[in-house]
Amino acid sequence: MQLNDRELAQKCQAGDMSAFEELVSRYHQKVYMVILGLLRNREDALEVAQETFFRAYRKIQSFQGGSSFYTWIYRIAVNLAIDAQRRQKRNPLDFRESMDGILEAQNEVAKDPFADVHDKELRENLIKAINDLTPEHKAVIVLRTIEGLSYKDIGEILGCSEGTVMSRLHYARKKLHDKLSAFL
Amino acid sequence: MSECESIQESIGRWLDGEMPASEGESVRAHVARCADCGEAQRRLEKMQIALKNVLAAETTPIEFMPFWRAVERRISEKSAWYDDWLDRARGLFTAPRLAWAVPVAIGLLLVLFSTDGLRFGGSRGSFASVESIDAYGRSVALLRQNESKTTVIWLYQDQEGDNEAADDSAKTAPAF
Repeated sequence: MQLNDRELAQKCQAGDMSAFEELVSRYHQKVYMVILGLLRNREDALEVAQETFFRAYRKIQSFQGGSSFYTWIYRIAVNLAIDAQRRQKRNPLDFRESMDGILEAQNEVAKDPFADVHDKELRENLIKAINDLTPEHKAVIVLRTIEGLSYKDIGEILGCSEGTVMSRLHYARKKLHDKLSAFL
Repeated sequence: MSECESIQESIGRWLDGEMPASEGESVRAHVARCADCGEAQRRLEKMQIALKNVLAAETTPIEFMPFWRAVERRISEKSAWYDDWLDRARGLFTAPRLAWAVPVAIGLLLVLFSTDGLRFGGSRGSFASVESIDAYGRSVALLRQNESKTTVIWLYQDQEGDNEAADDSAKTAPAF
């Protein structure tokens, strides 16, 4: 019988390392995707994702089960990613090269979802516009777009109210829209 | 705010499914009959699709075992005290706490300065001083009460042998 997250966390609190391994196997990909969405660099994202689970292991005793495990682990991940993003000194050219590298590594350039030139321009401008967002605005966009999380869950992860999430999403989308209006 | 402005501010929340059913129905009805708001909905949906594509294009599956080994290595090797200290510092310097701390710090500084004024001079506009008025050693003791009122409270000469001049001056000391 498969244990749920809370049961695994309890076993982990009792010192069961295999329970923690199971939690990592469930969430490593999702946590990595969210962090990558925020940092937009694979190496940095991998580093922060590993650090996220290391911190989670150290803090596991403080997990009381008041919130779900995934909002708890995402909270650690987003905080670390926002810190890393503030430290990140990369310029937009590095981001662009980073994106191209990712696409080439995946052999995705040939099957680009943006078929025509207009959409390619939209993609390039969208990448720039995302990079110009504040860490807080980027976080709500990524959590909503990649994970499809509810405002309530995003609020729990970011430590703010649903109203704040709604407001941040509205302004983040408005900023993106204003920069992309010629392509939409 | 016009109805269209209000609707266009709500379209994102409506598309996210974060709106009560009755409110969502009124947004849907408005968007269906208003060309401008319908266009705003179309643009937002197109932007959302582009966002999803851009963010999804980056994601590559990561292998679990190398990832897990790296986490295990951190658990066994890494020193805990530095991270604990950082976590505590993060808790202390959150934005809401800083928002309180700035006016509190300004208030404390104001209290400190006003206490300093009381301790060292009572009223900061009133103080006494001794000033030399010429090359013969004659001096006056002054009490400055404010910017426009100064009282000479003493006029004297402190050089030995010049007592006579000092006495003369003292006799003619003006009361300003």
